[in-house]
Amino acid sequence: MSVTAWVPRDAGALAVGAQATARKLQSEAKAAGVDLTIRRNGSRGLYWLEPLVEIECAEGRIAYGPVTEREVPDLVAKGLLKGAAHRLRIGPIEEHPWLATQQRLTFARVGRIDPLDLAAYRATGGYKGLARALELGPEATVNEVLESGLRGRGGAAFPTGIKWQTVLRQPAGQKYVTCNADEGDSGTFSDRMLMEGDPYALMEGMTIAGFAVGATRGFIYLRVEYPHAFKVLASVLSTAREAGLLGDDVLGSGNSFDIEVRLGAGAYICGEETSMLESLEGRRGEVRVRPPLPAEKGLFGAPTVVNNVITLATVPTILAGGAAAYRDYGQAKSRGTLPLQLAGNIRRGGLVERAFGLTVRELLEDYGGGSQSGRPIRAVQIGGPLGAYLPASQFDTPLEYEGLSAIGALLGHGGVVAFDDTVDMLEMARYAMEFCAIESCGKCTPCRIGSVRGAEALAAISRGEDRERQLVLVEELCDTMLNASLCGLGGMTPFPVQSAMKHFPEDFRLRTRGG
Amino acid sequence: MNVQRLVAMANDIANFFGSDPDPAAAAEQVAGHMKKFWEPRMREEIRRYVSAGGEGMSSIAIQAVKQLA
Amino acid sequence: MYSIDHRDLGTPPAKSADSVTLEIDGASVTVPAGTSIMRAAALADAEIPKLCATDSLKAFGSCRLCLVEVEGRKGFPASCTTLVAPDMKVRTQSPKLQQLRRGVVELYVSDHPLDCDDCPANGHCELQDAAEVTGVAHSRWAPGRTQRGLAPDVSNPYFDFNPDLCIVCSRCVRACDETQSTLALTIEGRGFDSRVSASEHQPFLASECVSCGACVEACPTAALTEKTLASLGQPERAVTTTCGYCGVGCSLKAEVKEEQVVRMVPNRAGAANQGHACIKGRFAYGYATHQDRVTKPMIRERITDPWREVSWEEAFEYTAREFRRIQQKYGRNSVGGITSSRCTNEETYLVQKLVRAALLTNNVDTCARVCHSPTGYGLKHTLGESAGTQAFTSVQKADVVVVIGANPTDGHPVFGSQLKRRLRQGAKLIVIDPRAIDLVRTPHIEAAYHLQLRPGTNVAIINALAHVVVTEGLAKHDYTESRCETDSYAQWKEFIADPRHSPEATESISGVPAHLVREAARLYAAGPNSAIYYGLGVTEHSQGTTMVMGIANLAMATGNLGREGVGVSPLRGQNNVQGSCDMGSFPHELPGYRHVSDAVTRGKFESAWQVSIADEPGLRIPNMFEAALDGSFRALYIQGEDFAQSDPNTSHVAAALKAMECVVVQDLFLIETARYAHVFLPGSSFLEKDGTFTNAERRISRVRKVMEPLAGLADWEVTMRLAQALGYPMDYAHPSEIMDEIARLTPTFTGVSYDKLDELGSIQWPCNAKAPEGTPTMHVGSFVRGKGKFYRTEYVATAERSTSRYPLLLTTGRVLYQYNVGTQTRRTKNLVFNKEDVLEMHPDDAEARGIKDGDLVGVASRAGEIVVHAALTGRIARGVVYTTFHFPESGVNLVTTENSDWATNCPEYKVTAVEVVKVTQPDAWRARVSTQRNTRKGASASVG
Repeated sequence: MSVTAWVPRDAGALAVGAQATARKLQSEAKAAGVDLTIRRNGSRGLYWLEPLVEIECAEGRIAYGPVTEREVPDLVAKGLLKGAAHRLRIGPIEEHPWLATQQRLTFARVGRIDPLDLAAYRATGGYKGLARALELGPEATVNEVLESGLRGRGGAAFPTGIKWQTVLRQPAGQKYVTCNADEGDSGTFSDRMLMEGDPYALMEGMTIAGFAVGATRGFIYLRVEYPHAFKVLASVLSTAREAGLLGDDVLGSGNSFDIEVRLGAGAYICGEETSMLESLEGRRGEVRVRPPLPAEKGLFGAPTVVNNVITLATVPTILAGGAAAYRDYGQAKSRGTLPLQLAGNIRRGGLVERAFGLTVRELLEDYGGGSQSGRPIRAVQIGGPLGAYLPASQFDTPLEYEGLSAIGALLGHGGVVAFDDTVDMLEMARYAMEFCAIESCGKCTPCRIGSVRGAEALAAISRGEDRERQLVLVEELCDTMLNASLCGLGGMTPFPVQSAMKHFPEDFRLRTRGG
Repeated sequence: MNVQRLVAMANDIANFFGSDPDPAAAAEQVAGHMKKFWEPRMREEIRRYVSAGGEGMSSIAIQAVKQLA
Repeated sequence: MYSIDHRDLGTPPAKSADSVTLEIDGASVTVPAGTSIMRAAALADAEIPKLCATDSLKAFGSCRLCLVEVEGRKGFPASCTTLVAPDMKVRTQSPKLQQLRRGVVELYVSDHPLDCDDCPANGHCELQDAAEVTGVAHSRWAPGRTQRGLAPDVSNPYFDFNPDLCIVCSRCVRACDETQSTLALTIEGRGFDSRVSASEHQPFLASECVSCGACVEACPTAALTEKTLASLGQPERAVTTTCGYCGVGCSLKAEVKEEQVVRMVPNRAGAANQGHACIKGRFAYGYATHQDRVTKPMIRERITDPWREVSWEEAFEYTAREFRRIQQKYGRNSVGGITSSRCTNEETYLVQKLVRAALLTNNVDTCARVCHSPTGYGLKHTLGESAGTQAFTSVQKADVVVVIGANPTDGHPVFGSQLKRRLRQGAKLIVIDPRAIDLVRTPHIEAAYHLQLRPGTNVAIINALAHVVVTEGLAKHDYTESRCETDSYAQWKEFIADPRHSPEATESISGVPAHLVREAARLYAAGPNSAIYYGLGVTEHSQGTTMVMGIANLAMATGNLGREGVGVSPLRGQNNVQGSCDMGSFPHELPGYRHVSDAVTRGKFESAWQVSIADEPGLRIPNMFEAALDGSFRALYIQGEDFAQSDPNTSHVAAALKAMECVVVQDLFLIETARYAHVFLPGSSFLEKDGTFTNAERRISRVRKVMEPLAGLADWEVTMRLAQALGYPMDYAHPSEIMDEIARLTPTFTGVSYDKLDELGSIQWPCNAKAPEGTPTMHVGSFVRGKGKFYRTEYVATAERSTSRYPLLLTTGRVLYQYNVGTQTRRTKNLVFNKEDVLEMHPDDAEARGIKDGDLVGVASRAGEIVVHAALTGRIARGVVYTTFHFPESGVNLVTTENSDWATNCPEYKVTAVEVVKVTQPDAWRARVSTQRNTRKGASASVG
């Protein structure tokens, strides 16, 4: 008997023992006399079920999870390799409502294929986008992206097509495509999942970008905390070069494009595009003054596309299926789908790719299933550590750019972190300042000194020292940081602080605390 | 004046102008240089030396000195 | 802290010719396109508070104090980084802006001491100013984390770094990068922990810092501050003057309290230095008030007698009597004078006038004889003018830069920084030098080619380069056809195309691989703008003049003369080498490089001076020595030059000086030459007089009196009084009158006057009716001599070649921290950086002789021997050794020989065959000098 099983190689799955599970599975199968082939895929994004093991059966891939090493002998004994019933049996994974209700465009392949398998990538529509771009030519390719309504998924939500158009219109000469893979927001992991689960999509997206704007070199700026992604990227880059998908003659088109991966050094600020460029150039990761925009003078002073992983990985889908098809998803000025990352105190955390417009409540309840602790969800923070805190009263807000903006929040990179009613919002506000202090590059004063003073003042308030005066100082500081900071780090740190103060004033009142 | 120093100097000058293929023209330029830059005592000294045979001097240098009236 | 009389406009000027009109606080303002809102506002007298901005550095946008409101734009853009746009409406003041600025200042103040009264920057601190305009007297923030408490770094002899006062604005780091290009400073740590660090948290003295002081000037607080500012207190006034060191001629502001210089700050409007200076110009002025200064005239009948202090009158009368007696006894031409490249144009002019008009001889020469006389001869004969062709700013338009026999980062540091800036923008560099100077490889700069030739083979290399240009069809025929002599070009082409000049044929002479020469020649010819900069490594050779001509040939053949970005630029060693030559210091030339045999010129001077001028050339310096040994030259008036240390073959010079009957030395100190003097006339430093210096780019700049002459008379007054004592009437009330006379008599100076210098700041000659504001670039359109003339430049090996007895070639140069024979710099704290001359040698040559790094070694040539410490380095090729000549105790010129340039007698300092051996004892010379120095207790010997 021969059987194929899939065990994710995704870092999130590995972190809960997927590697041991795979090994155990192999040895148990051998003992049982079964010829087992274990294939490695990306994660499906149902993280509460990891390690999620899938067995290829007649009715499709049958999932079991979470399958820890300890569970394996029992599972094998009870017929896992035949897709037999078990308390951990999920059933045909594609039919799982959590997945079936999603609209996976960018993440279509993640979890389904072996990320290193170029043939599988091509068999599932890979490189159709690039082929079409080559047919269209640069100008029309840029137009296609423009028409699709795609906006930067890194957080700034700037229309990608306009950025590309600016680079395209710069005089010919050395230009660059850079991919910002310095995914530093707490509670976010979509870039990592994509790079580990479908790296060719990113590569194809960058190649299309290079062709569209006239750039011959690409850089992926990868955070050093993503060693698995690094290995995957290194492997597929060399495969792609051998296959003629990178190099001097991409797909036989005569166009030249190659990609290099550079590792960061642990600085959150290097996720800010100009700091990232400084770091790529080998300098101290410090924010550059804009203008000039990177699209005019970016890496090494040359016109440069700076896009996030998800943005670039979405491009092949847009080109392959046409701008209109992508544009059909979403609403108003938020078109297409957004890979949301649900984390924090939540029962079912993971990756939810849906068209823009899902409400916060739908995400928390329908997908998340409420808090992990079972207590009421009191607040969510959207868009990373610099995102605003939303109280329950705002949970009906649709997750799209303008909707969130209307209530003073930001979608950012799509991270959503849930907190139950035991959260201390004053401590959350203090932490926001502390985060800024830890991650500040030190260039501008409001961020460099302000964040430290802000954290100190909030700590003083927590201790009940000079409360009223300190609150005024914090309010003023937030205004200074918001209006006077050089970049988004200092400029957005007030969002969590101010939203916490506004929506949870009771946590900032004088109180006697337990003990 | 240390006449050997002057001899060396005269030869150096003749060496430079000697790259003119015409030796007469070269000598004329050497003489011109000496007139312009050599103090009369130096010219007098080298003239006496040439009158006495001009040992160790290149032919262009000797021709030049002979033109220093 | 920038100069007390500088009004800072925040960001550098924009270069655009287009202008933009906008509205600032309701007033219409028109500025060049590309100007920042900050600068536009400052020009319209609407000062915007700022801390990280200063107009010598690119906008940085970090302090967030300069925020403004722009109509139609959201947020509060920083005015330093936001450029003006047509019809923009800007508000620089509003309650909201004030509130934001207050917020920022309060954050600064939350970690900064507030005891301003005790701070050296008090009254000139930019944080103090910002606090005042925003109304912040203290911080409301409770005491919290602090960066204070670190010990100040007082390691540098000239400035301190007190981290407590640092506001991390990065101005120092940016100055080290943008202004100086050394990149010794950085910000280490992140966020609140960001700190300024020299190299990798080293003390400043131990770091890569070259003490140029740009960071000190850029600092808005007293974090980086001159030690003198703390010890002497705030200056009261600033006097704009010109540096007395190298030929860059930096414009400086001497900041003075009463009559004491508190500090020197480069003038940001200075056209040569563009607001920069080096360690010497900025800090090493202490020699002017050093205890060794001699301030009383002295005489003695025999040089073995002790000195006797006398009145000025007695000194003048004695000198005049002696000169007249000697002239009567030995003839009119038995006396002469030496002008100094350290003195002003006016003083130099007066000395040559005294020699020609009062002593009635042409026996006048200048120390340029021993440095750049071949430049004068070579460029005059090929191009028509004895001067460099460019302004320093020209280098910013060069695509290819060739540096030959010069070491700009040490010898001409401010030009070195300007050059580095251009190289960092991508210009290509070719270095032709026996030694790997810093520019060959330094942070962010690497020479495309380093042609590491054997000393003495310059001409072989320049010929090989020209050979490639001609034989590979790289010459610009249109250019040579329209601008150069057809005949001399054709003759030269034929000459240079001969295979004996090919890189392959000359490789065995120069030691430079042929392919490198070919590639370098192609790079130079490709340009499109190629510029040559050269120094004494070109001129101080037996073929110095030939080499200068070879350089001019190459530049003409490739069309690299007559516009910005190209040219032939000699880097002059001393502050006024150009000026002293311009002023008629040479024995064959009257002011303006006109030969004494030219009757028309002579006639002009004769009628102005009311004398008859000799029509034959006088003696040059080395000829004077020969004549002295001969007995026909007996008296010499030497202003500001130390032959006994600076000239080659010291023993020969000493013998000549001893043979004279009256040697008059006018100097700041009892220099080596004063040991042979009968009369000592105290000199005055550049701080003690008015006048002008002319730098390497022909730029005439004012020297302005900062304090009264210590000896009561300025040098020009001394010469004037001496002339009067000789019975020749000279009567000037002020140096401006001397300049007026120069202008009347010199066609290239017709338009120069002190009034115009005050108005324009400085003037590059020629300045006359054709060029009323001077001439930055020469030979535009056509050469000064009409058609450019090519000379055949045959390579002739120097007589000085390595032999089995003297197998190594010694060459010499300077270090950043010392200046020439060190008379001035050795009397400053620059000694902390450089204490002695050392002999650089290749480790292989050292090993063959059993020499280790730091060993005492004897260096012997056929002329003499010296003892110095050895320093092993790969900078120098095998077979070559290198040393400096800053210290009298090393006596380096004891080993240099009497060989000299064929045309000008400029000594061949750069090639001496030597042998080096390990020794245990200092040599006799060194021992003698050291003993004398010790016994003389301060009033010691050295140069001016």
